[in-house]
Amino acid sequence: MITYLLRRILLGLVTLVVITLMVYGLARSMPGNPLTVQLGESDPSRKLNPEDQQRMLEIYGLDKPWPVGYVQWISKVIQGDLGRSITRKQPVTQLIGERIGPTVLISGTALFLTWFLAIPLGLYASARGGRIDERFTGLVLYALYSFPTFVAALFLQIIFAVWLRDTHWELPLFGMSDLSSDAPFFARCRDVAWHAILPITCQTYVVLAYNSRFIKANLEEVVRQDFIRTARAKGAGPWRVLVHHAFRNTLIPLVTLLGLSLPALVGGSVIIEQIFTWPGMGRLFFESIRERDYPTIMGLTLMFSVLTLAGQLLADLLYSIVDPRVNVE
Amino acid sequence: MRVSEEIEAAKPSRGFWSDAWQRYRRRPIGMLALGFVLFLTIVAIFAPAIAGTKPVVCSYKGTLYFPCLGYFNRSWESPIFTKDKFRGTYPKNLKQKDPESWAVWPLVFQDPYRRVRENEWPGRRENPSRDEGHPNRWNLFGTDQYGVDIFAKMVHGTTIALLVGFVSMGLAGSIGVLVGALGGYFGGWVDMITSRLTEIVMCIPTLVLILALIAVVEKPTIWKTMAIIGATGWTGIARLTRAEFLRLRQTEFVMAARATGAGSLRIMFRHILPNALAPVLVPITFGIASAILVEGSLSFLGFGPPPPTASWGSVLNSARSNLQLWWLVVFPGAGIFLTVLAYNLVGEGLQEATDPRLREAKK
Repeated sequence: MITYLLRRILLGLVTLVVITLMVYGLARSMPGNPLTVQLGESDPSRKLNPEDQQRMLEIYGLDKPWPVGYVQWISKVIQGDLGRSITRKQPVTQLIGERIGPTVLISGTALFLTWFLAIPLGLYASARGGRIDERFTGLVLYALYSFPTFVAALFLQIIFAVWLRDTHWELPLFGMSDLSSDAPFFARCRDVAWHAILPITCQTYVVLAYNSRFIKANLEEVVRQDFIRTARAKGAGPWRVLVHHAFRNTLIPLVTLLGLSLPALVGGSVIIEQIFTWPGMGRLFFESIRERDYPTIMGLTLMFSVLTLAGQLLADLLYSIVDPRVNVE
Repeated sequence: MRVSEEIEAAKPSRGFWSDAWQRYRRRPIGMLALGFVLFLTIVAIFAPAIAGTKPVVCSYKGTLYFPCLGYFNRSWESPIFTKDKFRGTYPKNLKQKDPESWAVWPLVFQDPYRRVRENEWPGRRENPSRDEGHPNRWNLFGTDQYGVDIFAKMVHGTTIALLVGFVSMGLAGSIGVLVGALGGYFGGWVDMITSRLTEIVMCIPTLVLILALIAVVEKPTIWKTMAIIGATGWTGIARLTRAEFLRLRQTEFVMAARATGAGSLRIMFRHILPNALAPVLVPITFGIASAILVEGSLSFLGFGPPPPTASWGSVLNSARSNLQLWWLVVFPGAGIFLTVLAYNLVGEGLQEATDPRLREAKK
């Protein structure tokens, strides 16, 4: 067990180095640099003169070729320092800390809702497989699965923020909060929850459609096996067979899926956060690419890849808990 | 034995693909989806003849021209029209400069790239602009804030939507099959390298990788966007191909091929690949759907191909700041949705028709 873990972690570290090297090289090959992109866009007259720019580049260590910059970055990371954002004048860790809450609020709720709804839906679909009501829900879920989130987000915005304006059903168009920070606590909670409804809906429905279909497909495969026939033959009721015998044997693929959704939980969705101008991680990533803010890009990349690798490892370890026959070694 | 039975017996049994086609045909939804994709293909090919302001065929000063081809490629529009100062408006100029001329016009006289002006077509009013462009008789799907017709944009955007699917998945499929085949067939350190490579690309969030690549490529065109989508979307295909190759390289027919002295490349691509093709084709079909989605979201975020390109996502992007113009959302949204749905359904049908495990279940 220990050797297995050590091997996986070592392998993961090598993967991490290659990923960050690739992304760093990519980021540094993007045209422009944080100074030119930021100042040139806001006000042409504030453009730095070449000497100042050269001096600033030296301060940030951007005057050297990118492999040198990468070595500097990674040696700092090993010491536990993700560096400072160039465009936001803030440590990257602090920036991530500010953005992680709003993202988890959306994606955590969405993740909970999807699993909370997907498992009963999947069970229902395979219990009533082929009946007219199941085929109808199946079709609706399939259509939802193909429905692009950005279109759904626009539709929801049109319905709830434009057509239902000035009714009880009006929902805010974007942002996270309209109230100032000195408003009463409960009023602020309610305000944030109000703003979060549309983004949560958008993030939930696609994953819900996918997951319930996934659960159903796995159940259908298990239901065909011999031990299910045995369970039926010994007189177990249809629900007991489905939940107790069949569903428990579909847990492995579900655990994998859960492990793979770990990075999305913290990473958020670039598109949804961008549409609803939600101050989360996805938006931070989007902005940092646009601003060429290398330390932030790298900090976020590192976090995403660590979480992806950790999710895979976690899924593999959970296998052996869910199914004692699986031996990780 | 009667003659007819003898003929029946002498007929070769149905091959794998014709068998799969027989199975596929039994699914009405799958056939409907396939029909929709065919319909889109026809729309894409004949886009300039369906909506445009350039004649499909015209006779000008005694010669035949096909100015509508200019929508596919600028240089395919005869230079004589630039020389004679047509400036893109054909109906009046044709009659003025050559009274003998005649022309066959597109079904809908609207342009995907510019606003149609008053009396450009005799008796036709100017396209409404800003928030007045509700769907109407002349603008079936309405107009955007600059007065450009949405129907024309949708028709011409079909070409892009289909091309994005085919080109980017063609590229992703080739990379994925190649990487997966190498890893699965050779195993050992080759497999080690290709598997790690796949894992690395999978670890970076796709949209972020694409955004970074687009930033690196200065002056994005639709072709570069397609190449980038393709270059980032091959990992799933590679993993599946690798698994198939791992399974098939131990079979008897591969051993037989090796015994007859076939080389590695020949075994990989002549013997194993045709047998591994069906399971690989399914994720490629789903990949086409997701490539269309990715292109849509890129254009939607404003990272798509530059303005003159009419893509469905860019219409949606213009709707973001004008939410009252619901027709800017409904029509392109429905276009993307139906196309993605159709490809997903085709993929699903393909899976059920070719996967022997699912076939057993239906018996």
